[in-house]
Amino acid sequence: MSAVTTNTPAQVADFRHRLDITVDWLVIPLVIMLFAAVFSVHFALLVGDWDYWIDWRDRRWWPLVTPLALSVIPGVFGYLLWDRLRLPVGGTLTILALSAAAWVSRYMNFHGFGGFPMDMVFPSTFIALGLILDTVLVLTRSWFWTGLIGGYLFGALIYPLNWPLLAAYHVPLELHGNMLTVADLMGFEYVRTAIPEYVRIIEHSTLRTFGGVVTPLTAVFAGFLTVLSYWFWVWIGSLVSRTTWLRKII
Amino acid sequence: MKILKILAIALATACVGGFSPLAAAHGERAQMPQVRMRTVHWFDVTVSATKLDVNQILVVKGSFIPSDFWPTQFPSAEETAFLNIGVPGPSFVRLDSRVNGVPMIRSTSFHPELQYNFEITLKARKPGRYHIHPVINVKDTGPLIGPGLWVEIGGDQAAFTNTAKTLLGQDIDLESFGYANAVHWSILWAVVGVAWFVWWLLRVPIILPRFRRAAELGANADQMITLGDRRVALGFLVLTLSLIVGGYMYADDKWPITTALQAGKIAAPPAQRPAVPLDVRMNEARYRIPGRSFRVALTVTNRGSSPVTVGELDAGNVRFVNSSVLQVKPADADDLVASDALHVDGGPVAPGETRDIVVYADDALWETERMTTMIDSPDAIVAVMLFFYDGDGKRYPVEVGGPMIPVFG
Repeated sequence: MSAVTTNTPAQVADFRHRLDITVDWLVIPLVIMLFAAVFSVHFALLVGDWDYWIDWRDRRWWPLVTPLALSVIPGVFGYLLWDRLRLPVGGTLTILALSAAAWVSRYMNFHGFGGFPMDMVFPSTFIALGLILDTVLVLTRSWFWTGLIGGYLFGALIYPLNWPLLAAYHVPLELHGNMLTVADLMGFEYVRTAIPEYVRIIEHSTLRTFGGVVTPLTAVFAGFLTVLSYWFWVWIGSLVSRTTWLRKII
Repeated sequence: MKILKILAIALATACVGGFSPLAAAHGERAQMPQVRMRTVHWFDVTVSATKLDVNQILVVKGSFIPSDFWPTQFPSAEETAFLNIGVPGPSFVRLDSRVNGVPMIRSTSFHPELQYNFEITLKARKPGRYHIHPVINVKDTGPLIGPGLWVEIGGDQAAFTNTAKTLLGQDIDLESFGYANAVHWSILWAVVGVAWFVWWLLRVPIILPRFRRAAELGANADQMITLGDRRVALGFLVLTLSLIVGGYMYADDKWPITTALQAGKIAAPPAQRPAVPLDVRMNEARYRIPGRSFRVALTVTNRGSSPVTVGELDAGNVRFVNSSVLQVKPADADDLVASDALHVDGGPVAPGETRDIVVYADDALWETERMTTMIDSPDAIVAVMLFFYDGDGKRYPVEVGGPMIPVFG
């Protein structure tokens, strides 16, 4: 009688299936945590106060700076997930991870530790922008069209997407003979010693000749820039995904 | 091994907790003396109460004069500045902030040699003991911190209220206004986003099988995207765009009147100052390091009708007082007042007289407040505010400044 037993093909397939599932269970949570950590640091460095405070989200700079910074991680990781796994979740998953981390940080750091009311520091919502990138990618299976259509909508729609959250804070009120918005009043009243009023960059720019239209003009420009930004970061993703780098290191 | 670990943890705890000084203020000592002595001279800073409860009002008042000897290494307050208050986070809310009666909601400019009287009205929000400083933030220079005073808030933060009325007549609670709405929209988008991810997650295992399949198909890997996937993607795209448009229309309907965030500058008028009947010139300033002794030689011309003498010298929020002219007691243990640290050689200057006098400010506060590092200034120039007093007790603030020579022996 032989001491060696041979597994049947069914047993091998079952083992492989269980191994694949185990890899999923181990890797997916780790990848989500990686996205949350990397995206949080990246977003804090490039957007930071623009999204921390309700009185920073103006009509000119916040909707321009935010999509440019926001499109980096979905571009790089979106390419990797699509190229290696044909999974069109790079936009949605990275932004979901960022949103979860942002809510935890705003609640624990800004509200719990810093003492600011949550209505002054809640994060904006960007998940819809990730959905647009991913769904356009599935429908076109093309980085060119995903960048052109998805990237443009990504940049252009950030303001209308957040308007249901922000509009209430743009209602005017009066304080000591000056008109302010609710957001301005909160920024004035809830003291931030290290963030004086002038640090905010509120509508600093030219191009005031379109009948006072600020937001649509910014949206068009943001959309255009985000197309270029998204293409660039997808290209970076394609460079990163080349295994030649890995082979050189190993 | 366990004992070693416990000892290491105990040692680390002792190092961090036992030997570290208490960090309870705003790092005013960390600013280089050049910044403290030559930017803004603060005086008469008071608080209306040192103990109060949540919801009670505190008024911080005082005056300041921007220095005529502002270091050229950084921008001055003449460009863009903001009157602020140094408290740990929103332990108070700021209801009002004025300079010479003008509301300072936004940024402004402060000019050298002019006097500005400020008044900041705060409402207590969070119980605790706080060191409160007036602060002037200057663009590209940073915060210039005024004298600090301790204030204690009692009561319960849950009782704190902060309401406002919009121009549309709506009463709002600033502690929670609009938050529930923001949470609802955020949850809605999170649900849609998670649903998209779950659509792909449903076919677990996904990583290794899809990796193998994509590698196998190579350039034809798009075959892995099924017709069902494309239909679902189209559905999600339509849903997403519809929700964005619908949300925008909903917000426009619910808040039809809105305006842009407000910014810009407000002009701060200077206070009327009584004429100072004095001409004061600093001839020499020396700081003797071993004795912690600051010596200023002055030429004073008195054009007034009463003899004058120096009653106080202020350098970077440290007050050196001539006890023969006025009595000043520190308001609390951290109030930087040296009550008997100023001596004047040369006596009072009579009306019509020009006289050389020497003022000595000798106290350990130079050392404990880290003012001695003034010898490391990149231009070795100092400035101090002198308060002269005449026979009737009338006060004349005069700023003097110039090169400083350290004395090492």
